[in-house]
Amino acid sequence: MLTAKHQKNNFFSETVAEFNITYTQLINHLGESVHPLDEDLESQKLLSDLYKSMVFIRMFDKKAVALQRTGQLGTYPSSLGQEAIGVGIGHAMNKDDVFAPYYRDHAIHYLRGVSLADMLLYWGGDERGNIISNAPQFDLPNCVPIATQITHAAGIASALKIRNEKKAVVTTCGDGATSRGDFYEPLNLAGAWQLPMVIVVNNNQWAISVPREIQTAAETIAQKAIAAGIPGEQVDGNDALAVYSVVDKALKKARAGKGPTLIEAVTYRLSDHTTADDATRYRSPEALNKGWEMEPVKRLQTFLHNKNGWGPEQEREWIAECDKKIAEGVDEYLNMPEAPPEDNFNYLYAELPYTMKEQRDHMIAKAERLNAANASNDSNDSNKREA
Amino acid sequence: MTSLPPLKKTLVEAVNLALAHEMRRDESVVVLGEDVAANGGVFRATEGLKDEFGIRRVMDTPLAEALIGGVAVGMATQGLKPVAEIQFMGFIFAAMEHIICHAARMRNRTRGRLSCPMVIRAPYGGGIHAPEHHSESIEALFTHIPGLRVVVPSSPMRTYGLLLSAIRDPDPVIFLEPKRIYRASKQEVIDNGEALPLDVCFTLREGKDITLVTWGAMVQESLQAANQLAQKGISVEVIDLATLKPLDMETILHSVEKTGRCVIVHEAARTNGVGAEIAAQLAEKGLLYLQAPVKRITGYDTPMPYFKYEHYYMIHVDEIVRGIEETLAYG
Amino acid sequence: MKYFKLPDLGEGLQEAEIVEWHIKPGEEIKTDQLLVSVETAKAIVEVPSPQDGIIQTLFGGPGDILHVGEPLVEYQGETQEDTGTVVGEMKPINENLNTSDDHFIIGSAHHRSAPQKRCTPAVRALAKRLNVDLAMVSASGSSGLITTEDVEKAHQMTTEKGEQFILRGVQRVMANNMTKAHEQVVQVTIHDDVDIHLWPEGTEITIRIARAIKTACDVEPNLNAWYDGNEMTLRPLKKVDLGIAVDTPDGLFVPILRNIGQRDQNDLSDGLNNLRQAVKNRKIPPSELIGGSITLSNYGTIAGRYGNPVVVPPTVAIIGAGVIRDAVVAFEGEVAIHRVLPLSLSFDHRPITGGEAGRFLKAMMNDLALEN
Repeated sequence: MLTAKHQKNNFFSETVAEFNITYTQLINHLGESVHPLDEDLESQKLLSDLYKSMVFIRMFDKKAVALQRTGQLGTYPSSLGQEAIGVGIGHAMNKDDVFAPYYRDHAIHYLRGVSLADMLLYWGGDERGNIISNAPQFDLPNCVPIATQITHAAGIASALKIRNEKKAVVTTCGDGATSRGDFYEPLNLAGAWQLPMVIVVNNNQWAISVPREIQTAAETIAQKAIAAGIPGEQVDGNDALAVYSVVDKALKKARAGKGPTLIEAVTYRLSDHTTADDATRYRSPEALNKGWEMEPVKRLQTFLHNKNGWGPEQEREWIAECDKKIAEGVDEYLNMPEAPPEDNFNYLYAELPYTMKEQRDHMIAKAERLNAANASNDSNDSNKREA
Repeated sequence: MTSLPPLKKTLVEAVNLALAHEMRRDESVVVLGEDVAANGGVFRATEGLKDEFGIRRVMDTPLAEALIGGVAVGMATQGLKPVAEIQFMGFIFAAMEHIICHAARMRNRTRGRLSCPMVIRAPYGGGIHAPEHHSESIEALFTHIPGLRVVVPSSPMRTYGLLLSAIRDPDPVIFLEPKRIYRASKQEVIDNGEALPLDVCFTLREGKDITLVTWGAMVQESLQAANQLAQKGISVEVIDLATLKPLDMETILHSVEKTGRCVIVHEAARTNGVGAEIAAQLAEKGLLYLQAPVKRITGYDTPMPYFKYEHYYMIHVDEIVRGIEETLAYG
Repeated sequence: MKYFKLPDLGEGLQEAEIVEWHIKPGEEIKTDQLLVSVETAKAIVEVPSPQDGIIQTLFGGPGDILHVGEPLVEYQGETQEDTGTVVGEMKPINENLNTSDDHFIIGSAHHRSAPQKRCTPAVRALAKRLNVDLAMVSASGSSGLITTEDVEKAHQMTTEKGEQFILRGVQRVMANNMTKAHEQVVQVTIHDDVDIHLWPEGTEITIRIARAIKTACDVEPNLNAWYDGNEMTLRPLKKVDLGIAVDTPDGLFVPILRNIGQRDQNDLSDGLNNLRQAVKNRKIPPSELIGGSITLSNYGTIAGRYGNPVVVPPTVAIIGAGVIRDAVVAFEGEVAIHRVLPLSLSFDHRPITGGEAGRFLKAMMNDLALEN
């Protein structure tokens, strides 16, 4: 009721906009489906594909960390506990959709055809890892400057729209990235231009050591879409089936020219930020423990076991297959001969200008000197051994 | 083919002509930026493009320079040829991350799989009595970055030819348009789609007593100085860099071999300006030609003053004349 | 302008109500002509036209409220001014800027790289300080680079031994020619004396010698020839163009007395005098200094008896005439004192034999021994 004071100030306002954010979960952390599933989602193949992919990625991820610890790989960002997101996206995308990753998308790379050797080359400090000859050639490489891939995705989506192609672009990022201008600006453009893009935020609750609570005051990250005038929703990032279903819907919508979607996949980072990080410095063991309770692989295993009788026999078989594949990939990576160092000049421009030849020759000569010195050191060593 | 009549165009009209020509010739060329479509660009550089090519290819973006840079990168990786406008060079800083971290590196880091055939155009330089932040000359920030090209035209005809080359180039080009001379003069420009080569300087005036290297709007003052000095019997060779990166030192060295003296003129601030690189390379490769130290006539190491005091900062013809005479008198 | 907008009415008033239009669309009006009366909160204001023109449209009718800055009338045919910028002023500087650079070269203006003395600015500065002329310093550095030591050595030499100067002009030409000649020619000289006691007083010596040369050329034409040592070809020449060595303060000149065989004494005499004058006055054209077939060096005007004058290619012979002296001779079996002219004949022994040279000299001597 308006008081006399209010009446005097002539002050009155009404609601002009409201929003709500949905949260989707299909299979809970106990491995139970929360409500009956659609037919297509119930498909045995889809479910076991999702599960097997997660197992494979987790094993590859573990191997990568091991390689780093033994000095055979550079700093590596593990995706432990976040496999469901990548696997769900990877299975929902078409090969002719375009992917603009950040740096924790090992699952998606793999599912789109990037070889293990190429993935390891990138983290092993070799540009050849970005050539990805078996994957879609217009996918962007891993992106280090935070959130900038989202802006690129907006550019890619613009190109698709300009050329009237019935394709979409998927881009991913972490929760930290959502604080950056490069997150908001392309969201805004996606809305203004109705771009065919799907932005999936891997909200694993941590931006290195900064927890989600102090990253933003927004109750959900998904609602940042509202500010840009585009649809935003949350999904249980540990539920591979839910992720798949939500992304699939968004992609179909985008491909049909019906605009963008922001999807916040809520999960938990069970690893350190990267192999150079030590989360025990800022994260309690209790919190980590709690995170494990929600993890994606076990719950889908339980569901599969209950539904289709997935058992230890199949598990063993699949693990053996993964082991083999991973070993092959690692072998290929470790035995890769060095690329010519002057390649760093040869791809500077389409054609190297004459002004750069002096520097390139200098590097070639330097490389020869260094390699000759190394070779003679090696042979000196072997001589000593023999003597 | 009917012969095209030459039209007298200003520098900014030449930009417009080149854009229209290339957009007709190549469907993958698109234009984006703030106010470029309906308004035709605040300097009218993109006038008429939206009417001819539609909003699918001529896009008004929201006000976000990082976005413009990054969207251009994304488009370019997919085979479009975006020509993005940054309304004033002073606003390009937000887009630096995309230019430096991505555009300049995409070809290199994917070993040629992806590339960025994009152009970022920006009006640059001072002298139009604009409010602060609208008079920047920071070309040296870009020439320092491996993988970029930096091009600065100095006349309507060369703007036409160089912009065509920039758009056709398979790698990113920062195309800086000296806005002080946007409308300074008109010149015949034939709309024949003939591009001028990048990566090479232009000798605008032959001379034998001293070499003057410059680019952009300072070409005007430099040519005026050369004319004045000609009355006194001093013969100045004027070289327009045109492409600031990659830097064509061969042309400069060949000239200094003849003249033995060099003066570099740039409006941008002195320290670590592009003139410093030229002077260093002259010392490295042309020491034996030099009869006098290389002189740089540059802006001060201060921000461009508010426009009331702008003329104290800008370089005047008599300063160039004096610099040349001092260099000739040396020794 | 195309649109005239409601101007500032003063006193912070932002709007006005149209009371009455004074003009109609289509009407031609002049500057200051009243367009409309508007009423503000304070008063009724008359608004005049800022320009001549024809009214196209009126915006609003009586009773309508307009705000400052809103369009009031539209003029026909005008275009709205386009400042063409969003900040600052972009006035054209000059339509006919006198800096038109329609013509330009892509890349560098080509020039031939002249061979220059190479040295660093520091060395150049040192040379200047020590007053050393770089043109005369020999370079010891790689690729002809003059070093600090080179300059210091040059300075020391000059200080201890005296200045050197660089050969220029005629002197330089002579040095080059002599060097070349020495490298190519196989030189032999034969000497003899001629008894000229029969010569009348006032005989022009050079003209007599010239005639004698002509006579000898008829006898041995191969000495009046050009020889090409590379191709090994000898070209005996149809005409005798006699080069006459002339000593001047500027150096050695060898003007050519053309076609001495076809000219009489007087003509030759005049010709010789003209040449001498021209050389003295430095007005001799270059064409008169080239193309000689055989040369005479009359050093006898200064000193010397017999000489070994240098044969300069492509000629193959040069005659030297020494000082005429009174000598004791054996004449008709008796001792006598006669005037004697010493002669030297140098020849290129590559194409010319000793026999030919000897016969040539003999022919000369026979002619010179005559009274006239």
